[in-house]
Amino acid sequence: MNAPRVLRTLVVDDEAPARALLREYLGAHDDIAVVGECANGFDAVKAVPEQRADLVFLDVQMPKLDGFEVLELLDPRPAVVFCTAYDEFALRAFEVNAVDYLLKPFGRERLAEALARVRERLAAGTPAPAPPATALAAAARPPGRWLERLLVRDGANVHVVPIEKLDYVEAQDDYVAIHAEGRSWLKHEPLAAVAAALDPDRFVRVHRSYVVAVDRIARLELYAKDSRVAILADGRQLPVSRAGYTRLRELM
Amino acid sequence: MHPLFAHVRGLALYALAWLLAGVAGAEIVRLVAPQPFGGALAFAAPLALVFGFIVLSAWWVCRANPLAPGRLGRAATVQAGAAVQAAASWAVAGLLWALLLARRAPGWTARPLILREALLLLAAGVPIYLGSAVVHYLVQAFEASRRAERRLLQSEVAAREAELRALRAQLHPHFLFNSLNSINALVGSDPEAARRMCEGLGDFLRRTLALGARDHVALSEELELVECYLAIEQVRFGDRLQVERCIEDGAGACRVPPLLLQPLVENAIKHGVAGRIEGGTVSLRARRNGDVLVLEVENPVDESAVARPGAGLGLENVRRRLDGFGPRAARLDAERGPEYFRVTLTLPALGAGA
Repeated sequence: MNAPRVLRTLVVDDEAPARALLREYLGAHDDIAVVGECANGFDAVKAVPEQRADLVFLDVQMPKLDGFEVLELLDPRPAVVFCTAYDEFALRAFEVNAVDYLLKPFGRERLAEALARVRERLAAGTPAPAPPATALAAAARPPGRWLERLLVRDGANVHVVPIEKLDYVEAQDDYVAIHAEGRSWLKHEPLAAVAAALDPDRFVRVHRSYVVAVDRIARLELYAKDSRVAILADGRQLPVSRAGYTRLRELM
Repeated sequence: MHPLFAHVRGLALYALAWLLAGVAGAEIVRLVAPQPFGGALAFAAPLALVFGFIVLSAWWVCRANPLAPGRLGRAATVQAGAAVQAAASWAVAGLLWALLLARRAPGWTARPLILREALLLLAAGVPIYLGSAVVHYLVQAFEASRRAERRLLQSEVAAREAELRALRAQLHPHFLFNSLNSINALVGSDPEAARRMCEGLGDFLRRTLALGARDHVALSEELELVECYLAIEQVRFGDRLQVERCIEDGAGACRVPPLLLQPLVENAIKHGVAGRIEGGTVSLRARRNGDVLVLEVENPVDESAVARPGAGLGLENVRRRLDGFGPRAARLDAERGPEYFRVTLTLPALGAGA
């Protein structure tokens, strides 16, 4: 057997004392190398690939992006151990394949247990198949509530599109193009996943490839038999299929 | 339904008592209309039982005509009418029963005195019915006082529950967990600071309990509690948390409900400062304009932040605390600007001694 593999580890928490505690506890484990600390979600999204982190200790409630949103934006995903004072996220954490869920305050023994689980998970060879971003987005959303913002990676940066700003979403092969405020961003996700996370009272799938915010539609025009176009407030035209037209009529 | 019908044993005893009264009644019948005892008993016992049930009707009459001041005359009239009616129906029943007895057992007893017997029933029925009405009024008064007592107890329990709920919301468990985690961290790096924080946390909890048990406190006391709270949060957030205070002279002595400001400051940190990478400044302002006290808590918010679940709950609690001033005497206004959130409380400025 080889010497145990050293795990490149990132600590992500917006509170300095919480980061210091993890650093102190982790110092006792030879196979853990803390390669960085992040105080917010944006930094974490940048640092994980930059540092090629194998393991991330992730707080849930942080400025800008919460822990689940950070995870949604990471590809490939490292092993994740959530650390939070809130027990209500535990179920969601395991739905997104977190290795463990530490409740603050926790002690050395509990952390050692979590690390044992991490080693086990990583030793099992290929990490457990990462759930699709869809599942992550769904888990990041409290039950009974619709998506409130879309997150897009823009190089090393993260762009947050509040749902109120969203005009429409368009399928492009394996990606969706997110159109808002006259700009657009590409996100690696199937359109069906985005459509399912949007409030059905405000967004309608008017076509196989388009989901549009109903209040952005200025008017509908008949284009050919059984096919229409939706003309948006800014003049853009989107195709409307027959099924899409039925769905629209139900809502309007 | 009359409550007596709910108890089989009570009902049986009641019927038995009336049958016994019927035996005594037979003697009275013999005084008015001389005849053999057997015949008088056959006449009186069943009728006594029947009247026993007729007088129970007083229960409904009493309930419909409570003895309220100003309505006594009306109740008395209604009861007198009911008494005559009950006695009359009893006399008619007696008349029919006597006729029936005379026809079915003519050889056993001769009944030449039927009319006299009926008049006896009419005369006796009125006072008996009125007696029943008095008993029913007493029973109903007793039950009403028991109900009032139970209501009082229930409202006391509800008030205690509300207090407990407020207290539980106050001692936000996540705040405690996070504070304990900070202490946990400090124990390793700065034991002296860990000690100070334990002390601060204890101080905060003790003050919360002490203030929460009172009906009102001086604003200055509430502000001391807020300072205790801020000292703990300062350890967690470090430089990210700045506080600006502007407490004008004369405001501190005003009387406020306890735990009014602290939840607002907690919100300002949780939903404002904590959501910003660079943190921010929480502004606390208090001023007295004549007989109005104005309190303001303002915090910066991240423009991309969406309201976290539970954000409105704290405000709702504070709003409820203001209800104590009476309807529309105090109000809470919340204003969300592009980059700030401000809560303004406007309440009557009551002096601490007033």
